[in-house]
Amino acid sequence: MNGVLYFIERDLTKWTRSKISVIASLVMPAAWLIFVGLALPVKFNNTNYINYITPGILVMTMLFASLAGGSLLIFDKMLGFLNKFLALPTPRESILFGKILFITFRGIIQSTIILILALVLGVKIYSLTSIFLIYLVLFIFGILFSSISTTIALVVDDHDGYAAVNSMISMPLFFTSSALMPYELMPSWLRILASLNPVSYAIDTARALFAGNIPLNGILELIVITVVVLVISVYTFRRATV
Amino acid sequence: MIETNNLTKNFEKLCAVDNLNLKIENEIFGLLGPNGAGKSTSVLMLTTLLKPSSGEARVCGYDVIKDAKKVRDAISYVPQGMAVDIKLTGYENVMLYAKLYGVPDRKRKVDEVIGLLGLNERKDEPVKNYSGGMRRRLELAQALVHEPEVLFLDEPTLGLDVAGRRQIWEHISSLKKKGMTIFMTTHYMDEADEFCDRVAIIDKGRIAAMDSPAKLKNMIGKNVITANVKGEFKGLNIDGIKFLSSENGELKFKVENGSEALPVLSEALTKQGLNVHALSLREPSMDDVFMQNVSTTDDKTKFDSTKFRTMLRGMK
Repeated sequence: MNGVLYFIERDLTKWTRSKISVIASLVMPAAWLIFVGLALPVKFNNTNYINYITPGILVMTMLFASLAGGSLLIFDKMLGFLNKFLALPTPRESILFGKILFITFRGIIQSTIILILALVLGVKIYSLTSIFLIYLVLFIFGILFSSISTTIALVVDDHDGYAAVNSMISMPLFFTSSALMPYELMPSWLRILASLNPVSYAIDTARALFAGNIPLNGILELIVITVVVLVISVYTFRRATV
Repeated sequence: MIETNNLTKNFEKLCAVDNLNLKIENEIFGLLGPNGAGKSTSVLMLTTLLKPSSGEARVCGYDVIKDAKKVRDAISYVPQGMAVDIKLTGYENVMLYAKLYGVPDRKRKVDEVIGLLGLNERKDEPVKNYSGGMRRRLELAQALVHEPEVLFLDEPTLGLDVAGRRQIWEHISSLKKKGMTIFMTTHYMDEADEFCDRVAIIDKGRIAAMDSPAKLKNMIGKNVITANVKGEFKGLNIDGIKFLSSENGELKFKVENGSEALPVLSEALTKQGLNVHALSLREPSMDDVFMQNVSTTDDKTKFDSTKFRTMLRGMK
């Protein structure tokens, strides 16, 4: 367990020392919120578009942060850090868990800034319980996608390969989710894709929380998917490192 | 400290390490060989980073497969990549390893190894300001913070300037005096000759020669004659002169008595129709030992880009 904390501490210190990457990672979700959320003259579910899109943008922040995080492991692998860490008596899985938790934590910080921005722009949240559960959903979703990204990082050879996979899946995952419009308004083919997309599960759950409901089913579904992916991730890690 | 018994690693069709048998005590042991000979693969197996295909290996009495964690407790491994976090300070880099190793009283210990490797004055600077030599010493500090019994170094002086290399070697030598076993790979024959107690030359996964550098050089003979010639060398059969190697018109011979052999050799080569440009006589070096024991000088392995990066970083 201590090993996990030390690995997180390492990544965190490195991240906070490169200010440009801290700021850069916030620009895209903020731009979506402002230029799409505020600008698009449509109303869904009887609210302004920004209210509709905010849960989607929060999940997107988490999604992109998680997928970008895989490159941390790629660089550790390419630059020889991974081998050095694997030769330590520290339990090897703590490298993986440290990465997943750090990437998720970083995504949570970014989401918090986006959430504050949304509140400033007029988005309402019902209660403290809602806030807590929104964070829980974002956290589980972050674990889910940082497990996926670290697993991809273990399998591909180099950074170019990782960047290619990342750009291939990140945008399609976002556009085929329920982030931008309700299911009823989607063409039927997109509705099918969106209802299968795990990103939609997180967005629908977060959206219900913003509306003041408590969707326990959605949270449970997310937990189940995340546990399955996490197991696959640990299995891949063990196979890749011995 | 390190013992291997028919240690073998196959990658699909390629046999990277073929029945390696080693017995290494408290010494500086150098593993030499051309690129792709199996040096790094051997190190990876001994450091529990790669599973052997067959055979066994024990480090400090522990089996590298069954007791992998105990092996990792007893060793330190410094790969050739120069993997130090450039955004962290030197102190933070070493402290990370002290924490991960679970070193007791770690503040004192980190200060001690940083002082030992001469990094004290700049320990609070980010490592991106460090030279290649300092980064290597920082890696040694990381490796030494938990007082390993065996230290594995993969090409520790790659990409360093002369002064940097000297310093690294002085540290390695003093560690051995303190009782540490050092297992290293290197491409620099002169360094192996000067600092290793014993070396093994590995070629195509097999040990071609293993002994102290002095004994290996003695096996070559008293003297080596190098002849720069033009034309095709057809072989020689003269008592006391033995052909060693031929490369780009440079022929090497080992001879019993150098000054007597020079004119004999010159005449014999001319008789073959060769145009002899120059003849030189010298004592054998580890280069000669290496060239004699390695089957080909043609490097057929893929270029290793990590190595190139290491060299570039060392130059910065």
